[in-house]
Amino acid sequence: MTRRIQQVVVVGADAPAWMAAAALLRSVSGAGIRVRVVELPTLLQPVDAHSALPELAGFHHRIGLDEDLLFSLCKAVPVAGRRFSNWSGAAPPFIHGYDRAPPPAAGLGFTQLWIKGRQNGLRTDFENFSLASVAAKAGRVPAAPKDAELHAAFGYNLDAAAYSALLRQGTIRGGVDSKVGTIADVEIEGDRIVSVILDDGERVEADLFVDASGPRAALIGRMPGADVESWREWLPCDRMLVASAKALKPLPAFSQISAFRHGWIGLFPLQDRTAVVAVYDGRETSDEALLEDLPALAKMPIGGDAIVSDLSQGVRRRAWVGNCVAIGESAFSLEPLDGAQLHIVHYCISQLMTLFPVGAGAFPEAPLYDRIIRRLAVNLRDFQLAHYKLNRRFDMPFWDGCRDAPVPETLQRKLDVFTARGRVPLNDDETFQEQDWESLFIGHGLMPQSYDPRVDAIPEQEHIAQVQARLNDIVGLVEAMPPVDAFIAGADDQRQTEMTALG
Amino acid sequence: MSEPLDIVILGGGTAGWMAATALASLIPPTRCRVRLVESEEIGIVGVGEATFPEIRNFNHAIGIDEAEMMRATKAAFKLGIQFVDWGFKGSNYIHPFGVHGPVGMDHIFHHRWLRARSLGLKSELQDYSFAAQAARDCRFELPETRSTALDCAYTYAYHFDAGLYAVYLRGLAEQRGVVRTEGKVQDVVHDPETGNIRSLLLESGETISGDLFIDCSGFRSLLLGKALGVGWEDWSKWLPCDRAFAVPSERDELSPYTRSTAMEAGWRWRIPLQHRTGNGYVFSTSFIDEDEAAASLMRSLETRALAEPRMLKFQAGRRLVNWEKNCVAVGLAGGFLEPLESTSIYLIQVAIMQLVPLLPGKIVDPRLRDEFNRLIDLQYERIRDFLILHYKLNTRQDAEIWRYAAAMDVPESLTRKIELFRHSAIIERYRDGLFPPTSWLSVFIGQGLIPESYSPLADTMPGESLISHLDAFHADLLDRVEEMRRHDRFIDLYCGAERATAPTATEMRL
Repeated sequence: MTRRIQQVVVVGADAPAWMAAAALLRSVSGAGIRVRVVELPTLLQPVDAHSALPELAGFHHRIGLDEDLLFSLCKAVPVAGRRFSNWSGAAPPFIHGYDRAPPPAAGLGFTQLWIKGRQNGLRTDFENFSLASVAAKAGRVPAAPKDAELHAAFGYNLDAAAYSALLRQGTIRGGVDSKVGTIADVEIEGDRIVSVILDDGERVEADLFVDASGPRAALIGRMPGADVESWREWLPCDRMLVASAKALKPLPAFSQISAFRHGWIGLFPLQDRTAVVAVYDGRETSDEALLEDLPALAKMPIGGDAIVSDLSQGVRRRAWVGNCVAIGESAFSLEPLDGAQLHIVHYCISQLMTLFPVGAGAFPEAPLYDRIIRRLAVNLRDFQLAHYKLNRRFDMPFWDGCRDAPVPETLQRKLDVFTARGRVPLNDDETFQEQDWESLFIGHGLMPQSYDPRVDAIPEQEHIAQVQARLNDIVGLVEAMPPVDAFIAGADDQRQTEMTALG
Repeated sequence: MSEPLDIVILGGGTAGWMAATALASLIPPTRCRVRLVESEEIGIVGVGEATFPEIRNFNHAIGIDEAEMMRATKAAFKLGIQFVDWGFKGSNYIHPFGVHGPVGMDHIFHHRWLRARSLGLKSELQDYSFAAQAARDCRFELPETRSTALDCAYTYAYHFDAGLYAVYLRGLAEQRGVVRTEGKVQDVVHDPETGNIRSLLLESGETISGDLFIDCSGFRSLLLGKALGVGWEDWSKWLPCDRAFAVPSERDELSPYTRSTAMEAGWRWRIPLQHRTGNGYVFSTSFIDEDEAAASLMRSLETRALAEPRMLKFQAGRRLVNWEKNCVAVGLAGGFLEPLESTSIYLIQVAIMQLVPLLPGKIVDPRLRDEFNRLIDLQYERIRDFLILHYKLNTRQDAEIWRYAAAMDVPESLTRKIELFRHSAIIERYRDGLFPPTSWLSVFIGQGLIPESYSPLADTMPGESLISHLDAFHADLLDRVEEMRRHDRFIDLYCGAERATAPTATEMRL
């Protein structure tokens, strides 16, 4: 057996670094492996927020984080989905809700019934059959029992700095050693990092380095063969603005994503404010012009704290080189259109745990990690790209270009099979499942031309009854869900009670 | 609504009747009319007396009563496949239909076992498999009947008489509206413009027209291969066996597993049914001649032969596409992989169950066709790699075929799986296609590939407690197995071919 890994160093900042450290602490420190964090300067601004998918709850569970703290300390708002408006001309907005019921075993899902219903004149929109979307519209938080046939979950809008601080505190309390610094140099031999030299002269050595430095790619960016494959040809937006606006009252149970002439604008409700994000094509509009238009586009006054940055989207050709593993945005980056940013981080971390190197000598685990992360990246890129491809904003050069441009073969296949039969061919390492893609495609107006012939085996009366029953069930379940404010207050009360009980 | 799709199935073996029954059961007559053309003069191959657990989904979907089907096909249960002499002479392991270790722990269990082994624990991986232990002990219960976690750790398949299964399905299919036509195809008539198949001209002079043709004509691939000229991808450099002799013998011990014994030029199967034992020798004529293989098979029988050995000729591979124009291949017409892992019927099933949701209209939508072909290719390639694995990992040096197999180059997709397991005990998962990590694990370990290391995540528990945990789990598992009924007893009660009626709940209670 080769020599075991004894020391892991996470280099980075903010949520990605502390998420990685927390997971390592839980998984491998019990095996005698030391975990250390080199904490680089934060990339966060006070305006920054995270918008996360429901799967973050599973990660919190694994690292032992009490979710009530998110609501009491991180200004968190639970959201049941994302509402997309102005993407399709006169078509009404739709909500991509976080439905999480497993697909039916026989493969004949409700969507197929809906497609037939639609062809026969059913007028009720698809999103009304989504528990999460209906909950979102009603301002309620899906907290239904997990074993229900209809099941939805909530994601989170979080204050980024507070979330990072919460993770940091818990991780350091758990025994992770940390050191604040900046990188003066990285000593590399062949494809291995020998040491990271900090500005104070300290040489930090480790058997394994985790690059959690975000888009800086402080380590992986220096490794051979890990250059970035740009996705600019598919995804034209290259500028991102973040700002704040005042809190929405009452708090909605969804984030809002509106397309405008040169890109899109997101409004992410938090308890104390609304985080505003604009992503756009810098060739189409200047930052100044955008900022001027922003209040009108967001339909609310914008604070004076706006920050603009470059946005580059793409994937590294290798995410694990030698003894350096990149996670999150160090591995690949996309615009925050679908709220997958933290998901990318914890998916990378969980793959690193599954593929945790058995020795410090060679790393044959790396190519598999690379393949998995690339598949994850491509699947997410395609999901994001589908919004652009399916837009129906005519006579606007930016949007016409997005609609007319060819898409990668991986997305074209999904579009083709869905258009032909209402099915979504999923790949390995998909973040979004059938119901997410269906919601996206139908929401943007892509209507399947035919349906699974098994649907016709259901007699018409029974078909109508099943459709009606689903609507009724959803209404019943949503009525029992707490409104957002009550949910947050409840989480806070729960916290207070526990604190009191602990004395 | 438009006219129903006219579907013509050519061939009435297992593939033909499975396709006919499924289409007639799942799709209403307003959408499709199914005709099946077969000739009693043409024998059926009827391989695949051993199945894979997925067959239960198929039977369930088309509304088959399990006990009734098992009575009709003289079926027995199957908890896995035993491989004898594969890794080396004298080796013996079971590829079980179920996980090793506790349910939900399969990502880490084998790493823990490897660690315990490095600390001196003497045990086999399959000591922790419920299915393998029950199989070895010839015991069986339905996993659903009890609900503790351990009893959910396995699933099962069947050994049945594939000929009787086809007959049983024919009964259902005809009840459900499938029209059978006796006859042999004399000519295939094409549409001159599209090249599609328009009709089959039978020797009787009858013309059978259709919109969609399903080729279940077996190895001859009369429609896809012959009429439409779809080429063949040859995989025999990796899977060199090209013949099989099959022979039934008298019933002996009703063991709930298939046995595969490596031989001097291939391998031999043993499949216990209620009324007989199926035997066969899959071999390569590059390494043994036919007469010698037949003699070797007959010598190896444990019970008296009930017939002369029957020979089948084949080549490993598949058609370049399984759906071309308005013709879809199901079963051997689309490809062949030796029955080492009992996948023949699975490949039939998967073609049917992918075709049903993608069933075209009167004009074939190429998007549906391409998706079908993509999914079928994935299935073939994953099974292919898994079969090659058995050959590649052998360490027998006593026969030419085994030396050849150990030295041969294998597909890159497989090489990288083997190397990663050898180094790190890691098994890649995939969404589409057969064989979960636990299957790969059992073959890797069973064939003697013990990884050089294991995940550090398994190092978190003190060594002594790890070993006592494993011991306790194994002891618990043996206790549970002992509570199960004997397989032959269970069969008599549940689906004995002599029974006229279904068992009552009281009868089935332990």
